This record gives sequence, C-alpha cells and structure tokens, in this order.
Amino acid sequence: MDPLALFALQLLNALSLSALFFFLAVGLTLIFGIMRVVNFAHGALFMFGAYVGVVAQTLSGSFIFSLVAAPLAAGLLGIAFERSALSRLYAREHSAFLLVTFGLALALTEAIRLIWGADARQAELPVFLAGIIFVMDEPFPVYRLFLIGAGVMCALACWAGLQRTRIGLLLRAASQNAGMTAALGNDVARIRALVFALACALAALGGALAAPLLSASLGLGSNVIIDAFVIVMIGGMGSFIGTAAGSLLLGFAQTFGNFYLPELSLGMTYAVMIAVLVLRPGGLFGRSE
Amino acid sequence: MRNLTMGRRTALGLLAAPALIRPAAAQSGPIRIGVPTAMTGTWAVLGAQVVRTCRLWARTVNAEGGLLGRPVEFLFEDTQGVPANCLRKAQEMVERDRVNILLGLMASSEALAVMPKLAEWNALFISSVNGAGSITAEHWVPNAFRANTSGPMGARALALWLRAAPQTEFFSLSLDYAWGRSSVETFEGLLRGIGKRSIGSVFAPVGTRDYSSFITRIRQANPQALYIALTGDDGTAFLRQAAQFRLFERMPVVTETVDMLFTRPAGDAAIGLVGGSRYTFTLNNPANAAFVQRFRSELNELPDTYDGEQWQACEVLATAVRKARRTDTEAVVAALRDLEMSSIKGPLKIRACDGQAEQAGLVVRVDRRDGMPHPVPEVIATYAPSEVTPACRAANFA
Amino acid sequence: MNAANPRFVLAFIAFGGVLGFVLPNHATTLLTEALILCLFALSLDLLVGHARLTSFGHAGPWGFGAYMAAGMMLAWQVPLPLAVLAAGLVTALLAIPVGWLCVRTGGVTFAMLSLAFAQLGYAVVFKWNAVTGGSDGLPGIPRAGLSDFMASREGYHLLVTVVLAAAYVLAWAFVHSPLGRVVAAVRENEQRAEALGHDPRRIRLIVFVLSYFLAGVAGALYAGFARYVSPELFFWTVSGHILVMVVLGGAGTLVGPMLGALAFFYVEHELSALTESWGLALGIMFIFVVIFAPRGLMGVLQGLRRT
Repeated sequence: MDPLALFALQLLNALSLSALFFFLAVGLTLIFGIMRVVNFAHGALFMFGAYVGVVAQTLSGSFIFSLVAAPLAAGLLGIAFERSALSRLYAREHSAFLLVTFGLALALTEAIRLIWGADARQAELPVFLAGIIFVMDEPFPVYRLFLIGAGVMCALACWAGLQRTRIGLLLRAASQNAGMTAALGNDVARIRALVFALACALAALGGALAAPLLSASLGLGSNVIIDAFVIVMIGGMGSFIGTAAGSLLLGFAQTFGNFYLPELSLGMTYAVMIAVLVLRPGGLFGRSE
Repeated sequence: MRNLTMGRRTALGLLAAPALIRPAAAQSGPIRIGVPTAMTGTWAVLGAQVVRTCRLWARTVNAEGGLLGRPVEFLFEDTQGVPANCLRKAQEMVERDRVNILLGLMASSEALAVMPKLAEWNALFISSVNGAGSITAEHWVPNAFRANTSGPMGARALALWLRAAPQTEFFSLSLDYAWGRSSVETFEGLLRGIGKRSIGSVFAPVGTRDYSSFITRIRQANPQALYIALTGDDGTAFLRQAAQFRLFERMPVVTETVDMLFTRPAGDAAIGLVGGSRYTFTLNNPANAAFVQRFRSELNELPDTYDGEQWQACEVLATAVRKARRTDTEAVVAALRDLEMSSIKGPLKIRACDGQAEQAGLVVRVDRRDGMPHPVPEVIATYAPSEVTPACRAANFA
Repeated sequence: MNAANPRFVLAFIAFGGVLGFVLPNHATTLLTEALILCLFALSLDLLVGHARLTSFGHAGPWGFGAYMAAGMMLAWQVPLPLAVLAAGLVTALLAIPVGWLCVRTGGVTFAMLSLAFAQLGYAVVFKWNAVTGGSDGLPGIPRAGLSDFMASREGYHLLVTVVLAAAYVLAWAFVHSPLGRVVAAVRENEQRAEALGHDPRRIRLIVFVLSYFLAGVAGALYAGFARYVSPELFFWTVSGHILVMVVLGGAGTLVGPMLGALAFFYVEHELSALTESWGLALGIMFIFVVIFAPRGLMGVLQGLRRT
C-alpha cells in the first residue's frame, strides 16, 4: 500500500473514532463542569442509546429516526432521574453521587437485559450510508465519513450553544459559581435538570451512532465508561475544548497505537493519562482544583 | 427473618458436622447438578445457551423416567464470568447443597480457579465450554474432564483443511488472551508443517471496539488469506467493520470457531466465512436431527455452538452415571475414564490420561440455506479424532 | 453501646472468628471471604474517609499484594504468614512512588490517577504471560508452611480474623495518634495545617502508604484463601465495588466500611442466588440508601441508638 494512502486511511480512521469518543465524553464533562457530578451511569446510557437506536430503526425502518428516538428516550430518562434522585443530593458530598449513579448503572444494565434479552442486536445501515468511497484507490466506508461530519457538527453546535446563547451564558455562569447564578434569579434547579437530560441525550446519540459499527450488546456500557473518564480527565474536567482535544488525542493514540505498537496498546491509554495528570493535574485545558 | 434463617442453618450445621464422614452425595432422591455460570455480564449470551440447554435436557431425561430412576435437578447460579464469584458459588453448591457434579462453567479462568479445589471437595467437573489448552495439559486435575472441542483442536481441524487450499500466505488476527494466543500459535505451527507460511499476526486487546486500524494493517500486509480467532461481541464488531471496508472482497477469511452468535448479527457479511466448528446444528446424523427438532419445537430457536456442546456434556455425564450405576464421585470418575459412546456430534471417547473427549474435528462454511432466516454454518470437512486431538496432556501439536 | 467503640468492634470481630467454628462449612468459607473484604474496605477508608482522597484504583494494591504472595508461595514455598506480610510490605514500597505522584492532586484527579495505575497493573499482569500466566492466572497456590490445622478451613478463618483485628487496631491507633489528628487537620483545612508547619503532601503520602500496605495484606490473604489469582483482581470494577462498600457503610468511621463490605457482599450473594435480575434490585436499593440514609449504614445505626 502506498504510504500516503496508508496515512490518509489511518487519519480518517482516527478521526471517526475521535468523533465517537466525543459523543461519549462531552455529556460527562458537561455534567461535571456544571453539576460537579461524576456520572458512573454514562456508559450504561451510551449502551441504552445503542439499544433504543437499533429497536427504533427496526420498527420504523428509518436510521435517521433512530438518531432522534435514542436521545429523546435517554433525555426523558435523565430528567426523571435528576428530578427524583440527584436533585435531593446537591447539598451532599461527592461520594453520594458516586453511589447513586453506580446504582443507576447497575439497574439500567439489568433493565436492558430484561427488556431486550442477552443477544446482541443490530440493524443494517441505510443505502445512502452503506457505500464506500475510494481514498487513493483504497476503499473507505461512507458511514465513517458521516461519523466525522456528525462529530464536527455536534462540537460546533455545542460550542455555539455555550458561547452564543442566553442558556449557554447561564450554563457557563453556573459552572463558575452556582450560588451567584441563583442569586441573580436564575432557576439553578431547572438548569441542572436540563444539563443532565442534555448530557444523557448526547451519550445516547453516541450509542445510536456507534450501533452500526459495534451492534448493541450488554458489555458495551462497562466497556466504554473508562474511555470516557480518560478523555474527560486528559482534556480537563468540565472543559469543553479539553474534551474535544482529549477525544482527538485518544482517537489518534488508539488508532496509531494499535497499528504500530499493538503489544502495548492495552496499557498505553493509562500511561498517557498518568503522564498528562502528573504534568498537569487539571488536565490539558482544565483549571487545577 | 434473616436471623431465623441463620439460626436454623447454624443448628443444621452443628447437627451435620459428625455426618460429614458420609459420602457427600446421597444415593436416593433427585440427582442434583451444579451449574455456576455467567448469566449476566459480558458472557451472558453464552450462559443463556448453557442454561436453556440444561433445562431442556433435564425435562427430556425426567420425562423418560430420570437417571437411574431418579429425577435430575439443576442448580443454576450467576457468576458474571468472574473467577472469584465462580469459586464462591461452586463451593456453596458443593458444601451446602451437597452437589458433587459441576457443569457449564463459562470462562476458562473460572474453570482454572475451580479445578484445583475438586479433590478437596470430592467433586467432579465436565467442561462444555472451556477452550484453553492448559485445562487438559499443565493444569489438568484427575476429577476434571472436557467433553467439548478445545481451542487447539479447533485450530488443528482448520489447518488440516487448509492443506488443500490454494492460498499459501496467511495473516492472523486474534483476541489477546490465552485462547486467542494459543490458537494463533497452534495455527502458525501447523502452517509451517504444510508448506505454507504466516506473514504476520496481530493481537487485539480484549474489549477492542474499533477494528479499523487492524483492518488497515491487514490490508497493508496484503496476505492471500486471513485467519481470525475472535468470538462474541469482538467477532461481531470485526465482521461488521471488515464488511464495511470491503475486506472480504480482497481475501478469504478463515476463523477458529464459527458461532451463529456472531455470524447472525453480521448478516450477509458472514457468507463465505470458513472456520473450525465445535458444533453446528446442520450436522447430519439421526441423534442430532432429533436434538435439533426437539430444541426447535420446545424453544423455538436453532441450537448454537454451546447448546450442542452442553447437550453433549450432559449426555457424557448420563452415560457415565448409567455405567457406574451410582452418582458418587469416585464411581462416576472411574466410569468416565475411557468411556466410549456416541452423541449428537458423533462417536467420542473420554481418554483416561487427561480427560479430553476425543472427537471428530469439523470445518464449516457459512452459507444461505432455504427456509433459514439468516446464513448458517454448513459442514464442509470432517477429520478423525486421532488427527485433531493433541497428545496426552499437551496443549499443542509436536 | 456506641457501634464505633473499638472494644465493641473488636468483640464483633472476635465473634466473627468464633462463628467460623460453629457455622456449617460453606458458611464459614463465605464468612472468611467477607472478613477479607472487610480488611480491604478498612484499608480504603483510611484514604477515603480520613484523608478524603477518593481512590478509584484500590484494586491496584489488592491485586498486587495477591500476585506477590501467590508468586512467593508458588515459586519459593515461602510460609504463608511471612508471604502475606512481605506482600504487604512490597505493596507499601510500591506505594511510595505511586503515592508520591498521586497525592500531589486531590478530588477527581486523584481518583482517576489511582485508577490509571491500577489499570496499568491490569495491563501488565494480562500481558506478561511468562511470569503471571496472563489471562489464565495462577492456579493451585499452596498454603505453604502452615500446620495442618492452620491450613484447614477453620484455621485459615482464624488467621484472617486475627489479621483483621490487628489491622483494625493499627488503623484505629493511627487515626487517634497525633499524626492521625494532623491528617484530619490537613483534610479539614490544608492552608491552616500548612501554616502550622505541616507538609500536606508528606502527611497524605503516609496515609497512602499505610492504606496500600493494608490493601496488599488483604489481597495476599485472598490469594491464600482462593488459592488462585487472575488479572480480574486488578480490574476497575473491583475498585468500584470496594469504594461503594466504603460509602455504603459510612466513610471515615473505620467500622462503617467493614459493615458496608459485609452488607454488600451478603446482599449481592443472596440476591444473585434468588434472581438473575439481582443487578436491578441492588441498583435500586443503592439509590434508596443514598437518598434516605445520608451517612451510610453507620448513620442509620447511630440514628437508631439515639431514638
């Protein structure tokens, strides 16, 4: 294979993986930045999105509909959980969130098994996404290009939402100082519910987008949660730019690591995280605590 | 309530203490068999096969009057595929529930955790799933038996089939744990023996989700054929992504085991896939036809690899118990040694030296079949037991 | 009587030891494992409860101690008590560089750094086939150098009980020593403690090393108990479970985390025997405990005493 073609392919591979990572991690960083909650159930929500997506596509026959249904279902679940459980705990210590989201992850995983069974589920890609393009005579799946596009769109939308809208301003203010925002007459409770729902929806959207590559299966949740933590920590907890950078860093590290150093790739992710956190305890773009 | 239960158990324990000298298994009442297996977690899909087949087998046997005139009763416990849990559950089955026969352990590491305890527990174990070569080699214990085809046996059958294949240059991709590594090692060794060569291999860490980088590596190596040892979610993810990259148009793919579990989700992407098989429902013999028919009518599904393997393990146990005419460990272990019988996979012999069941090696190809909703594995070659079983207490072929 | 009174706790541990001789065999074995987990939870409480360093990688010292003891007993037939002690000491030695890097941070960063080290351990054990047996693990670990009685079920239970009691006394004495009070001062107000001439990092490192020592001992006892070690011991889910046990019981009370370990262990064990859907029941139960029992099981116990 032509070295240039090889490089181009690996570049696209890394970008498409980074896009998936971004969907996985952006919600986690949002929740942490604004609510100071480490959400253990984030992987389970990603998995939930994959299942809802596959089921919605099978029932409706539309892949695009599945990309609406999955975040919607997860968003509703998120609001319900925030209102009924999390909202009672904001005055409490970190560890309360740990236990309560751990409980949610356990319960949600088992609920998925009860509803959809132990077998992996999958649906076929629609024709317009199932094709290939040629990158210097090497075939490359159109769907992965679609993923890259979706990731970039999502990142731009999040950025614009945070920087250019009134809600975004409130969110940023809440992440700086919740008490101050409340004093200014903003309903912090509503902001929190909104943020949690939005984060759940983003994770589920990522799950629905990943389903055509991975199929929906029960191991998915616990499999991806650690990757999500790593990305958010490398980028800096609560930093939006950091999450984008962390997704790219991990996407490239895994793609090129698997190619050149497959023997070390199991431990490399963690070595990278240790290196970043030792040199910059707040992450690449985060504030030090 | 809880205290009452503890109290009762304590009292029972005190009463039972002198009775421990008795043989652990009673010779009347139901025959109880312990199945500590993975009902939740990553292995839940395989565990579901083990459980449903054990239940079906118990119903079948009990409808015919039971074993030695006694009903068969299974005790299932969830281990999540974690060795520590498996050890705990198995121990409780043996010591509290007086079980002396264990079946259906899931991960090889679970089997390896339990096996050294068998002598102390005076219990026996018949594997139906565990593929690691070491179970019948350096880690073998006298009370452990393997009714299923092991990893090295699967690799051997496939290599024998490849003797006749036109391709001479192979590349291997496998999961990076004991089963995957021993499969690739066996496979590469066998290739050299038949005048072909391996031009490279790569091991994917367990839990790899994105295979694009590995697919690119394979394309760059450009072998004439690809050998894979992947299963479960990993196998599904790889097959789907490789199909999206049109890899199968470039080179044929052979796999160590073909399970419908991962070929079915891959859909038409799996057509043409050739591989070793531990069991396929398409096996053409009367015993298997009867089993498949019963399975489909009762469970409304096609039996997959571990349904077949579990059924065979249950049949091995039943034959040994009938031969021994009793169920205590010494008698059943003695009956299992050199046991010769026929099951849904054909004739088999449990050899005394390491407990491995010598049985035919199968190679299958995934193809469409009329009346089936998805492509299914069809047998394309069968090899004699002597050709595919390693030497006694060896994990590979000299 | 106060549930956190050390005499009461020691009596309770002794009662656990005696139970080992009256319970039926399987229940004794179960209790032995539960007591080893109590020791593991106790070690984590020093970090989480007393130094407020939420470790999410405590599977690291646990797995490391287990493999160390397993290796010593398999390769050199080192007598078990010596192997357990040595494994704890080697783990403590390892804790010095690891801790030095971790305690510079706090909060979530500390949690994730400790996680990364544990996962790195997992990767090494998983890949280093020749020494660690890779994913097959190391089966058939002997209880080397023990008399027949001590190697028996009851003897081993007694050994675990004695070690747990000793570890509890050590942890209690540490927390109530002048040094332990400095730890609390650093936890409550780092600037003030620094102004008083204490080096917060050094103080935290001392707690870290002690915690790793006890976790290493717990892991080593587990290796002798199960007579099998595998990479799963290092896996992050183990860290998650033990942390949940500590929080469930009530962090910072030493006895609470041990109760949490007992509760988690027995509830999961009994539930999973009852139903395949134990995860659903357990998950919902956690959510209720967090909402309605803010200070964990210890909080509930102390609340009962007051009313």
